[in-house]
Amino acid sequence: MLGIDDPQIWLAYVLCVFSAIGCIIYGALKWNDGEEEEEC
Amino acid sequence: MAVSTPILGIAVLIYMMAVSYLGWLGYKQTKNTEDFMVAGRKINPLVLALSYGATFISTSAIVGFGGYAGAFGMGVLWLVFMNIFVGIFIAFVVFGSRTRRMGVNLGAVTFPELIGRRFKSRFIQGFSGALITLVMPIYAGSVLIGGARFMETALNIDYNSAVLILAVIVAAYVITGGLIAVIYTDALQGALMFVGMTLLLVLTYAKLGGVMESHQALTNMAHLVPANLAAVGHTGWTSMPLFGSPTWWTLVSTIVLGVGIGVLAQPQLAVRFMTVKNTRSLKRAVLSGGPFIFMMAGVAYIVGALSNVYFLENRGMIALDAAGGNIDLIIPEYINSAMPEYFIIFFLLTLLAAAMSTLSSQFHTMGTAVGHDLYREFIMKGKAGKTVTITKLGIAVTIVASVALAYILPIGIIARATAIFFGLCAAAFLPMYTGALFWKRMNRQGAIASMLVGAFTSLFWLTFVHAKEASALGISKALFGMDTILTGTWTVVDPILIATPVAILTAIIVSLMTQPDPQEHIEHCFRSSATND
Repeated sequence: MLGIDDPQIWLAYVLCVFSAIGCIIYGALKWNDGEEEEEC
Repeated sequence: MAVSTPILGIAVLIYMMAVSYLGWLGYKQTKNTEDFMVAGRKINPLVLALSYGATFISTSAIVGFGGYAGAFGMGVLWLVFMNIFVGIFIAFVVFGSRTRRMGVNLGAVTFPELIGRRFKSRFIQGFSGALITLVMPIYAGSVLIGGARFMETALNIDYNSAVLILAVIVAAYVITGGLIAVIYTDALQGALMFVGMTLLLVLTYAKLGGVMESHQALTNMAHLVPANLAAVGHTGWTSMPLFGSPTWWTLVSTIVLGVGIGVLAQPQLAVRFMTVKNTRSLKRAVLSGGPFIFMMAGVAYIVGALSNVYFLENRGMIALDAAGGNIDLIIPEYINSAMPEYFIIFFLLTLLAAAMSTLSSQFHTMGTAVGHDLYREFIMKGKAGKTVTITKLGIAVTIVASVALAYILPIGIIARATAIFFGLCAAAFLPMYTGALFWKRMNRQGAIASMLVGAFTSLFWLTFVHAKEASALGISKALFGMDTILTGTWTVVDPILIATPVAILTAIIVSLMTQPDPQEHIEHCFRSSATND
C-alpha cells in the first residue's frame, strides 16, 4: 500500500493523515460546544 | 548554504521587524500579572494552536529528527501519530480543559504553581521550579546553538555573535511583553513554518515523481542499507527495525514513547492551556493543531526518508553518505541540493522561526520557574516583591545561563538535551500532573513521593544505565570505571520506560496509604465554574 510493503509503516503513515483529518473534524463539530460555559 | 546573502539578509530583517512589532504589541497589552504570566487568559484558539505547535516543534525536531528519518527510515512516523493523537488531541481535550479550569479555580499562573496549589505544597512548586531551572537551560542552550549555527552559515556572521544576537532579540520581547508577546510571535513563526513545510512536501513529491512512485523507489532501496546499520536492526527505509534490536528499542522507547508521551507534562506547553478563556477555545484549537503538527513533523520525516531516493538518483549514494555520515546534515544537504533558491531562503527563515518560537517559551518558563515558583513562592514564602518583576529578573538570569551553556557545553551532551528534558518531565511531572487533574484521592504525600521518585529514578537511569546519556556524561565511568552499570538490552531502554511506571506506582501506593486531602479543598480544585465565587 502507498508503495510501502511493511504494514507497520503504511499504517503509521495512514494514521498520521487520518488523525490530522480527525482533528479537523473534531474541531469543526465542537466549534460551538459549551456556548454557555463560564468566561473568566 | 549557497544563497545570495543580501536577499537572505533582507528577508531576515523583514522577519525580525515583524517579530519586533508583535513583541511590542505584547508589551502594550501586558498590564498585570495574569497578562505577563498566562497572557490574560484570553488567547484566540487559532493563535493558541499555532503557538503551541511552534513551541512544540523546534529546529531539532525538523532537522534532527528529519535527519534521523533520513538515516533510519519512516518508522519514526509513529512519533508523528503520537504527536497528533497524544500531543494535540489528548493534550487539548483531556488534559487541557481540566488544566484550564483548575488553573482558574486555584489562581495559578505557572505549571508548578498549579500542581503546588492542587496539593497545597510549596515544596512541590519549589522543587518543580528548581528542576525546570536546572535542566531546561541545557535544552534551551541546544536550541540556541541550532539557531545560532543557522545564522552563522546563512548570514556569514561569527557564531559567538550569532548566539548573543539571537538571545538578545528573544530576551527583549520575552522580558518586556511576557507570554502575550511569546504567543503572538509564536503564531507568526508557526504560520511561516506551516507554509515552508507545505512547500517542502509538495516540491519533494513532485520532484521524485509522485507519492506512490517515490515510496516504491524508497522501498526498493532496502538492499542499500549499510552493513553496520543492518547489524543493529536497520531493515530498510520503509520497514520497521528488527524487533528487539538496539535500533528498534531506540525508536520505540526513546523516540516514539519518550518524546510522544513526554510532551504531555512539558511545563512550557501545559501553561498554554491556562491562556484561553474557555474549554471551547481548546476544542477549536484542535482543528488547526492536528494538521499543523502533521505538516511539521510528518513532512520533515517523510522528506527526510525520501531524500535517500533523491541522493540515489542524483549522486548514486544514500542520504547518510551524502551528508558525510552526519545525521544532522541530511536535511540541510537535501534542501541545499534539491530545492530551488527561493525555497532555500524561505526554509532558512522557517528554521529560524522554529528555533525562536521554542526559545521564547523556554525563556518564559525558566524565568517563571526560578523567579516566581522557586524564589518568590518557595524560598520567600510568597513575601518577596511583585511576581512580574521577579519573573523578569528570573528570565534574565536563565538567559545568561543558557547563553553560557551554548558556549561551553560539548556537542555530545547537547544532542541528548531534548531527550533528557522530555524524560525527566515524563517521570517527575506526568504521574503527579495526571493525578492532580483526574484522581481526587491523590494527596500531597503521594504527589511529593511520586515527583521525587520519578525525578531521581530518571536521573539515576540516565546517569548509570542508558548508554547514550551515561557515556556522554561520564559520571558512571568516573565512579565505577564502566560506561554503564548494567549491560545488554537495558542500556538501550529509555529512562521513561523505567522511571514513569515507578513514579505512577509510587503515587498510587503512597496516596492510598496516607490520609486523603480535605474534601473542601478537593471540591474547590475541581468545581466546574469559577464564576460562583
